[in-house]
Amino acid sequence: MNKIAYLDNAATTPVDPAVLEEMRPYFSEQFANPMTYAHSSLGDTAHTAVEEARTRVASLINARPEQVVFTSGGTESDNWVLKGVLERASRERLHKPGHLVTAEFEHHAILHSALALERQGYEVTFVKVGRSGIVDPDDVRRAMRPTTVLVSIMHANNEIGTIQPIAQIARVAHERGALMHADAVQTTAHIPVDVEAMGVDFLSISAHKFNGPKGVGAAFVRSHDSIYPFIDGGGQEWGLRGSTHNVPGIVGMGKAAQLGKERLTSEMRRLTALRNALFEKLASRIDRLAMNGDAQQRLPQNLNIRIDGIDNEALLLAMNEAGIIAAGGSACTAQETVPSHVLTSIGCDVKEAKASIRLSLGLATTSDDIDYAADVIPGLVRFLRSMT
Amino acid sequence: MDKYSRATIREFMSPSNIGSIENASGVGHITDNADAVELTVFITVKDGRITDMKYRIAGCTALIATLSVLSREVLGKTVEDALAIDMAYVSGLLDGLPESKWRCAGYALQALQTAVSDYRGRAQ
Repeated sequence: MNKIAYLDNAATTPVDPAVLEEMRPYFSEQFANPMTYAHSSLGDTAHTAVEEARTRVASLINARPEQVVFTSGGTESDNWVLKGVLERASRERLHKPGHLVTAEFEHHAILHSALALERQGYEVTFVKVGRSGIVDPDDVRRAMRPTTVLVSIMHANNEIGTIQPIAQIARVAHERGALMHADAVQTTAHIPVDVEAMGVDFLSISAHKFNGPKGVGAAFVRSHDSIYPFIDGGGQEWGLRGSTHNVPGIVGMGKAAQLGKERLTSEMRRLTALRNALFEKLASRIDRLAMNGDAQQRLPQNLNIRIDGIDNEALLLAMNEAGIIAAGGSACTAQETVPSHVLTSIGCDVKEAKASIRLSLGLATTSDDIDYAADVIPGLVRFLRSMT
Repeated sequence: MDKYSRATIREFMSPSNIGSIENASGVGHITDNADAVELTVFITVKDGRITDMKYRIAGCTALIATLSVLSREVLGKTVEDALAIDMAYVSGLLDGLPESKWRCAGYALQALQTAVSDYRGRAQ
């Protein structure tokens, strides 16, 4: 097989073999429904496995286990928190439609949920983001209204990797009596995520972004009485989230959380060095190249660069032909030909946005992958620029 | 976006006739900032037939592949026949170009039309 350098780990990551091993018995052998634990020893085994996973996820984010509610992924967690909190606070506290504050460059799971809330009569303010790609807490303060019930700002941006001052923003939210949510899909198990230090009331997590399986995630919910259920059903997850537990997925998420916590410091150091090496090599070999977003307040695994005079779709396809997998915008918008809303929100014009690519590293990324990408990409840029 | 055909990828990775023509019979230039596209098509016309086409392009894969096949397809055609080429025809040459890409790839045909207009303007 030809060489593949997979540099699209922000889109998804491979399941760690140790995670897969942990999941394996829960498909056909330990298949029972965990909700039957009271009268079934098989159910009890599944229930114990789910609770063990919950403890591991809680430990990763410094939460209590009962504050971790399993969902189908980051998108569901984002939808649930925004809709469940707005509806409950508006109905029970404000007695009129409440107000949400979020940012222009959020993931579409947040943006489209916010737009859905607007359609239902709630009010939303989308805070602007500057060229650094970092939300200014003062901008959030200015957006607050007496009716603001929730502030939702992502912990790190999924395209440009910039890390947001969540603790400061949470203080702003709490000063005005609002609750705080952070979409931590890109950060969990990649940089420290501590719900106490961040001061958040809700957090969204997705397993497949840290070498766990797809189709499973969690929401940190500080207080169960602050939110209405999103998926109504049986009494699973304290009645907050109906549907039979995805036991293999949850078990896999738990194992990925445990491994992620163990590796956090060493992986941060390793990926920061690899990312910096990749940027320095590319910047020395390609002229008119720049980094999008702040270089320091940035996820270790993220590099987003714009290269004047190239079209990112063409470059990505040429890279793919050479076995280098990366991304333009996020994977969720890869089918669109519109420029990245994240890049335009931080002040890039359409041309700059369409000249930008995201290279995201992960657990499986080696220095060979970095060297290969740094050797091959400059030639492909020359190839595309030779046509202009 | 549907996937690109292998023919489109091959065409894009080794495009024909990149470049410019000195003393071209007609030149068509198109810039579209919203699509971040800039291209110039050069044609040589002799006795009413296109004998050469070259282009310079900053744009997407579909547009590059379209220009590449177009630059071969128009050779020997009368300008009228060349102008009759539409995206459905180009798509056939590329073993199917996703329709979501036709609008952007269509800049190739627009630039050719502009080059032909330029040629006709000079000929008058």
